[in-house]
Amino acid sequence: MNEKFAQVALGALGFILLIGAWELAARNGLANPVVVSSPARIAAAFARQWASGDLFADLETSAIEFAIGYGLAIVVGVVLGLAMGLNRIAEYCIDPFIWFIYASPLIAFYPLLIVWLGFGFVTVVTVAFLLSFVSIAINAMAGVHAVDASHMRAVLAFGGTRRDVIFKVILPSSVPHILAGARIGLGRALHGVVLGEMFGSNDGLGYSITRYAAQLKTADVFVPLLTLIVLGVAINQASALLEGRLQSWKRA
Amino acid sequence: MAINASKSLGDRLSEAPNARTWIGGVSVVLFLAAWQVIGANEIVRSDLISYPGEIAAAAYDLASSGELGANALTTLREFAQGFAPAILAGILLGLGFALSRLARSLFEPLFVAMYTAPLIAFVPLLVVWFGVGSTSKAVTTFLAAVVPIAINTTTGVRETQESWVRALRAFGATRGQIIVKAILPGAMPIIMAGLRLAIGRAIVGVIAAEMYVSTSGVGRMIQTYSTAGRAAEIFVLVGEVSGFGFMCVWLLRRLENRLAPWRARA
Repeated sequence: MNEKFAQVALGALGFILLIGAWELAARNGLANPVVVSSPARIAAAFARQWASGDLFADLETSAIEFAIGYGLAIVVGVVLGLAMGLNRIAEYCIDPFIWFIYASPLIAFYPLLIVWLGFGFVTVVTVAFLLSFVSIAINAMAGVHAVDASHMRAVLAFGGTRRDVIFKVILPSSVPHILAGARIGLGRALHGVVLGEMFGSNDGLGYSITRYAAQLKTADVFVPLLTLIVLGVAINQASALLEGRLQSWKRA
Repeated sequence: MAINASKSLGDRLSEAPNARTWIGGVSVVLFLAAWQVIGANEIVRSDLISYPGEIAAAAYDLASSGELGANALTTLREFAQGFAPAILAGILLGLGFALSRLARSLFEPLFVAMYTAPLIAFVPLLVVWFGVGSTSKAVTTFLAAVVPIAINTTTGVRETQESWVRALRAFGATRGQIIVKAILPGAMPIIMAGLRLAIGRAIVGVIAAEMYVSTSGVGRMIQTYSTAGRAAEIFVLVGEVSGFGFMCVWLLRRLENRLAPWRARA
């Protein structure tokens, strides 16, 4: 417990050192505050964007896009991954396409997505979905492949059907893999939202970053940027917690 | 999945030798054929989806005019300028984090925050700081790559077998020798996995940064052909970038077999 407290305190100290050094550098002319901004300026910009409601509106847009894109990715990723895990022909057929989607810079297709789906919301959701569903599908498939065959034989030996095997053995035992994939997918979905907003939307945190940067308002750029960083860390921590909770039976 | 005792046709197909390769190949060929028929006959507007024949022609034109080569070279240079220092800095930072508890406690949270944040969100700021030219792309590549390399180096070093270190120390090795002879080789497989992650992130980073704003490079070409609504050229360029990524990962795997051959045998 004490150990943990020291870790957190030192981590916080690291952040404080960084902020302090940055502020000092900006005040003493070591770094041009107009270009690199400074913690005090960022705080003022944060207060301004918060009071005007801009920050909250951006956050709301991005959060909704993220939730829908990521939610779709989980549903499609799990179904596709299980199908690929259960049927080897399906796996071999889909595999090349999955790897192409995983490995290629999909954002290059944004102009086509805009023509197909319209500028803004749907395009952003689609980019988030496309970036994140593959890692979930791959992990769900790996989960099915890793199922202990003796469990399946046991169910069959006691007269269970193929359906029983799927719902009572395969699904529950692939949960840890699916969760791990879902966690990788989280970061990719957030990345997708930001990419989509930067290139294919005029709303949300990603768009705000590009707009303030184009106006050379560096302090204002940091507000949505830091919001995204905090959001990323918070989502990641929450999912790690949830993962631990859902897998508690595994350690026992 | 041998759940049923009797073998279906599907089971027998999927157990044929090289089934993965040829079933996958057939599936890709069928997909390309369907795409060709749908696109070339304008069943769906071909300016939106293009089709393989048109894409092949576009690839030939882009390659033979030298446009692709020149821009690919720019991107490659930016990539190398960012990635090479990222390997060095990542391994040194990772070693520092692994060997010093204080450094790890102070700065690892900052690194993890950087890792979780969508890197692309930093690009507009990097352009303000480093300009629209090559430097901002190299810096993007560096930042994309350095974090996973450092994090994996830390993990790898911390998982190095304590007994190797003790053995070397018992025979009077210096701290430097222990790092070079035991710790780095022991951590190599995990560092390599970090490099693989880093390559993926860096490629997307450099392309997206070029798309955001730049004067040349593959990302710039994508942006140009995108705004002109040229689907065929976009497919060529995306394919080229993916191909580059595959090549990097393949090279890395060969390097890994060379540097950590005991791992390949396992």
